[in-house]
Amino acid sequence: MPRPSVCLALSTSEKKQTAQKHKPSPESPHEVTFKKSKIKSPVTKRASNVEENGSDDEGDASEMEKNFALLTQKVSLQAPQDEISGGVSDEDVTGERHQAVCSNTSGSDEDENVSKPARGHGVGDELCPKDDFTKDLSEMSFEKVLQLQNKMGTKAYKKIAYGTMKNRQTGETVKQLSKHRPQEISAKKTVPFLRKVVPVKKTILRDPRFDDLSGEFKPEVFNQTYKFINEIRQREAEMVKKKMKKVKSNIKREELKYLLQRMENQERGRQRQEQYRQKDLQFKRKQRELVQQGHRPFYLKKSDKKKLELAEKYSQLKKGGKLENFLSKKRKRNAIKDRRRMPHQKK
Amino acid sequence: RKRKENEVEQEIEETPQEKKLRLAKLYLEQLREEGEWDVDRTLFLSEILVAPDPIEIRLLRGHKLSVTCLCITPDEKHIFSASKDCSIIKWDVGSGKKVHKILGGRKGTEARHVGHTAHILCMAISSDGKYLATGDMNKLIMIWEAATCKHLYKFTGHKDAVSGLAFRRGTHDLYSASHDRSVKVWNVDENAYVETLFGHQDVITALDCLGRERCVTAGGRDRTLRVWKIAEETQLVFHGHEGSIDCVQLINEEHMVSGGDDGCLCVWSVGKKKPVSVVKQAHGVHGNAGLKEPCWVSSVAALHNSDTVASGSHNAMVQLWKCGQGFRGLDPLFTIPVTGFVNSLKFSTSGKFLVAGVGQEHRLGRWWRVKDAKNGLYIIPLKRQNREAPVPS
Repeated sequence: MPRPSVCLALSTSEKKQTAQKHKPSPESPHEVTFKKSKIKSPVTKRASNVEENGSDDEGDASEMEKNFALLTQKVSLQAPQDEISGGVSDEDVTGERHQAVCSNTSGSDEDENVSKPARGHGVGDELCPKDDFTKDLSEMSFEKVLQLQNKMGTKAYKKIAYGTMKNRQTGETVKQLSKHRPQEISAKKTVPFLRKVVPVKKTILRDPRFDDLSGEFKPEVFNQTYKFINEIRQREAEMVKKKMKKVKSNIKREELKYLLQRMENQERGRQRQEQYRQKDLQFKRKQRELVQQGHRPFYLKKSDKKKLELAEKYSQLKKGGKLENFLSKKRKRNAIKDRRRMPHQKK
Repeated sequence: RKRKENEVEQEIEETPQEKKLRLAKLYLEQLREEGEWDVDRTLFLSEILVAPDPIEIRLLRGHKLSVTCLCITPDEKHIFSASKDCSIIKWDVGSGKKVHKILGGRKGTEARHVGHTAHILCMAISSDGKYLATGDMNKLIMIWEAATCKHLYKFTGHKDAVSGLAFRRGTHDLYSASHDRSVKVWNVDENAYVETLFGHQDVITALDCLGRERCVTAGGRDRTLRVWKIAEETQLVFHGHEGSIDCVQLINEEHMVSGGDDGCLCVWSVGKKKPVSVVKQAHGVHGNAGLKEPCWVSSVAALHNSDTVASGSHNAMVQLWKCGQGFRGLDPLFTIPVTGFVNSLKFSTSGKFLVAGVGQEHRLGRWWRVKDAKNGLYIIPLKRQNREAPVPS
């Protein structure tokens, strides 16, 4: 038949006590935030408590009976005290929950008994030897504890007194469960009229130049994979030439001429880039060989590189027989520039 | 002044945990006084249910159109049923006779007619047998006194047809679900509306509730089941159906069973977001060759705190299932021949009989019409057979 969930009236004596005992202890942070959020009820604040509420349902009846038993005991013990809150019952609940969640056995009571340095009773596994140790610690005077600490070293002492991080992290087990648990969300938010029927993917715009996904730009790889584009370009240049012959109007012919010129310039520029790249590669290969042989690598200055290029240019021009032409033009240009820079003489 | 405000705040502020604790303590005190101790026990049916003889199945006829919903009074003596002709009939179980009939009115007569004037989609009766609530497609919830069938209140507030109603056991709190995707909480004693809960993305098709202050709703096409924790104002969302979820029932406080129009019957546990067990095509397929579609599961019922589940569709049988260990499997037990659309199924509280509300059409629309079906209620007695033979001395 039904679980304990019927409305009944509180007895007056209990009412007084619950009214007086209302200070949530600082050691139960979950409970404090929950109380605050009760008024405002935003979803985010509840998120931390939501999982606890979910877990609450499972041991409900047994928990509540336990709590009741504990409460009656506490009530009889703490009747003379005045500063206890109705939250004590919740302290018990949270204490119980902490017990369920963190597999340690220390509740709020034990903490009061154990002395300050040895309050971390966090290890569930090594209980037996630790128990004795902490008991001894609690009985020793503070001076002796300090001496012990100095002798052992703080690291070892802390390890034994408080336990290692591995033992402390027991919250992970709870997290694993929540992966299979149903999602818990607020029931007070109105749902918009237009609802998501089919999940539509938002198109992400990415620039492949700056995107990490595209990887590093490698010219060899790029040229290899996109070689076919050069053929397309050639075909297009031929198409433009053919059209230029056919076209009758002058304006269009001019346009096509410019276009063709542009295409040819681009092609030349590309080839020049290729040549430079090849030269760089050759130079690097030479350097690598030298290094392998055992010499130290040397790097050319920019001016040296330019000189080398000039030398190559000259050799090429010589082959073509255009060297004289080139040199004379250059002399003329330089002469004009020099004459401009010379100071005028006013007569 | 600030201190006074703080005091007032302290008095009002009661977290759900505190509230639960307070109520539990008081309940325990009460029980101690009375000297009773009612413990939840799950009937694991060491006695096996056996298929009844077809002769023992009674058909109660009286509705002109398809029966859409029904409920059995807690003392198992009367059954209330409602149909598409907007009438409500109170039957006596023993004799099979009509005790009372509340006629349905015609479409334009809402003002002067005492009763419903549109299809009644859902009904619920409180656990003490005092109030009967019915919801119809005209966005109204009518409260009647169960014993005399006298009209008491009319709850307006929903913006679309009311499709699910349930009373919380032991109280007069009414939960209603509607096609406007909201769940509303009402207090029938005080004739008052309490609150609204939102979350469903599509029309809510069914609602069920047991003793806790929480209810489960089936949201049709959004393929989710939601458990609403009313005190904490949160909802748990469960996914797992492929088609629209049409009906849901709670087996016990932790498990529920649901059926959908993809033919799937699913058993869920509150701790897992996916169903614990699924039976696909629970009622077979229908249609022309090459266009076979699974038969829609139009209603499910679960025997409270046991492992027996019944499901109904339009393939001429009501199928009874047995849940495996930990509700992990669903094994078919036996079938009961019933022609027509089984629009509603309910087990009696002790499990002595099963009532099926049957009609020629589906309760939500008119997709098919089974001509040879009779509109009425089938009362199916459930026999048990002891598994263990008596030990010879």
